[in-house]
Amino acid sequence: MTAQEYAFAVIAAVGSISAIAVVTARNVVHAALYLVVALLSVGATFLLLGAEFAGWVQILIYVGAIVILFLFGLMLTKAPIGRDTLDNTHRWVGLLVAAGVFAGLAFLIQDAFPLDAEPFEVFHGSTSVVGESMFRDFVLPFEAISFLLLAALIGAIVLARKDEGN
Amino acid sequence: MPDYYSSYGVVLAVVAAGAILVAVAFTAAKLIAPHRPLPAKLTTYECGIDPVGEGWSQSQIRYYVFGFLFVIFDVEAVFLFPWARVFESLGWAAVVEMGIFIAILATGLLYAWRKGVVRWA
Amino acid sequence: MIGQAVLPTPELVFEPLLPELVLVVFAMAGLLYEALAKRTEAVVHLSIGLVGVVLAGGTSLWLWDWDGPATVLGDAVSADRFAVLARLLLLVVAALGLLLGHQYFARSGDEQRGEFTPLLLFATSGMTLIVASADLILTFLALEILSLALYVLTGLTGRRAANEAAMKYFLLGAFSSAFFLYGVAMAYGATGTTKIAAMALALTGTGEAQALAVLGFALLAVGFAFKVSAAPFHMWTPDVYQGAPTPITAFMSAATKVAAFGALIRVLDVAFQALAWDWAPVVWGLAAASVVIGSILAIAQTNVKRMLAYSSIAHAGFILTGLTAAGSAGIRAAMFYLVAYAAMTVGAFGTVMVVSGRGEKRTRIGDYTGLARTNPIAAALMTLFLLSLAGIPPTAGFIAKVNVFSAAIDAGYWVLALIGVVTSVAAAFFYLRVIVLMYMQEPEPAAPSLTEKVGIGAENSATAILAIPAAATLLLGVFPGVIVGIIRDASVLRW
Repeated sequence: MTAQEYAFAVIAAVGSISAIAVVTARNVVHAALYLVVALLSVGATFLLLGAEFAGWVQILIYVGAIVILFLFGLMLTKAPIGRDTLDNTHRWVGLLVAAGVFAGLAFLIQDAFPLDAEPFEVFHGSTSVVGESMFRDFVLPFEAISFLLLAALIGAIVLARKDEGN
Repeated sequence: MPDYYSSYGVVLAVVAAGAILVAVAFTAAKLIAPHRPLPAKLTTYECGIDPVGEGWSQSQIRYYVFGFLFVIFDVEAVFLFPWARVFESLGWAAVVEMGIFIAILATGLLYAWRKGVVRWA
Repeated sequence: MIGQAVLPTPELVFEPLLPELVLVVFAMAGLLYEALAKRTEAVVHLSIGLVGVVLAGGTSLWLWDWDGPATVLGDAVSADRFAVLARLLLLVVAALGLLLGHQYFARSGDEQRGEFTPLLLFATSGMTLIVASADLILTFLALEILSLALYVLTGLTGRRAANEAAMKYFLLGAFSSAFFLYGVAMAYGATGTTKIAAMALALTGTGEAQALAVLGFALLAVGFAFKVSAAPFHMWTPDVYQGAPTPITAFMSAATKVAAFGALIRVLDVAFQALAWDWAPVVWGLAAASVVIGSILAIAQTNVKRMLAYSSIAHAGFILTGLTAAGSAGIRAAMFYLVAYAAMTVGAFGTVMVVSGRGEKRTRIGDYTGLARTNPIAAALMTLFLLSLAGIPPTAGFIAKVNVFSAAIDAGYWVLALIGVVTSVAAAFFYLRVIVLMYMQEPEPAAPSLTEKVGIGAENSATAILAIPAAATLLLGVFPGVIVGIIRDASVLRW
């Protein structure tokens, strides 16, 4: 195994364990903090693959902004946070479905990319390359993102203002 | 590629060094410091009032709206990085593209401002 | 790769995107009016919305004779007649939604919601974009634009039921979007592209990475099935359709289906056309489950909006029945069904809005008892729309059902057609029950007559709006030939 593969094993293990901890944690604030670790390891995986821009965006947006939003969202709720109040009776069904989906995806992905296949050449996804393709080939999706963000902004304000009025 | 990984090797080394530094400091403190537990040491420091009830309080929705605005403009900022790297080679087209993008989001900010969302009152 | 010489920017051909640009400009105009005007008038909002929709419709019509390239803007937008027809249908539904919503908010006494028009235009622009999108990334973004706007529209009035509906819709919708995006990633992994035309070429004739492509399709199908409310991904539909303000239910039940089916048709019949043998059983299963579950559960409902929601699940199944036939035959059947379905479902929910009165107090099926006495026009309209939903001649619903069944039988799926026919007969029961209640029974003495509650003016103009879907339902039922030629032209996807 190469150094990259050792690094990947460590990152994948940390990410998987913290992802499981997100859904099993009894306190939602702890779950949000585990989510930080899980998202960081996804970012690290991107970095390991040479997708530098995607990796840092992952960390900047998800760890830096979205988890913060989660925490604000949690603070909006009335206590008691965590403990058993959030559990419902569908735990085992959920586990079964998750296990089934995982098995199916794992089988199909290893089928499509067998372990003994030629390794892909690592594509160095630097910021310039991303910029080149975004501002030449994907201009329309890029502008569509701004409308998406605008719609989200208006939506959040409309719903939040209503709550304030009541 | 080796350059790429070795540059992150430095980052990793710094992180590891930081972790070792903290670990060493805490272990040393634990070993050297005297250990005499008392119940009084667990109470609020010196003159504070004993806490009542739970540590949780419901916060205002304003925090959420601010958090949301932050996420939106964080995402916007992320797109500025690749743009900054290429706008020289793409010329005016890239400037116009980014101008439209920012103008649309600025409309959203204008709306938020007029609706009094960004005022803290 | 880096530091290349300056490449010439390709010539910008943006005309096929004009309808969306118009809608977005008017949505922003409405937003700015709401933000900047000291006192906003509902009529101004309505005018901004209607002018935008009409102009977008005009530009769409102009695109019917487009002879430029088949795809523009980096192969991201299709300029075919399929997109034009789907857009026109969406814009008509949007105009009806705007008019009905205007009436609804005028009478409801809720605080005037100036965001209604911009949000509805945003949703419409997402919908018209998705039916023209030839790039799965753009499809995903359009799907999110329309979904976000619809989540907010659902919760716009802030009633308890509306809030709950918006929350449910948002949580499940976000979950299904994740499946969709995962499907895009898998399809990209299998083909190395997100453009559906390039995807179709990459999948033709190669056995390699086939499993991954099928997996990608399966995940995309989950996302689409959720948006068109096909069983078993229909759980959100009854709650959301019941909880949302009725004009918004009318708009989204029709327009979301048109938009999502429009995008699904491009995915099935362009991107994954080489895998038709693999996707047909998936579509078959979704269709059969939807018609059975939708029809059976509708029988047990006591609320009209909920009953119509289950009926919309069954109709998603009928459209999917048509789509089991790959290529142009399936597209023709599905397109006709979508036109008919849009007319009858907007009409049915619109009539529910008229009958429900202020604050949506009268939405139980029992409230329709003796409606023929208290409000004969509404009763007659409801009868027409219910007959069409049941698929009884001479209405559009009948022709539409015949089309999808014959398309399925021609493709060799006669078992599915049989399931469809049997469930149609069973489903006729709950539509006819409402008609019987309206005509055969006396009104409850305590039931207040409608005119007392809402005032004759508002009542009449809301009913007048419903003349449009009523005329369409009858016209397409009696003279289906009027749009057969148009649909035949539109059923050829250019890529």
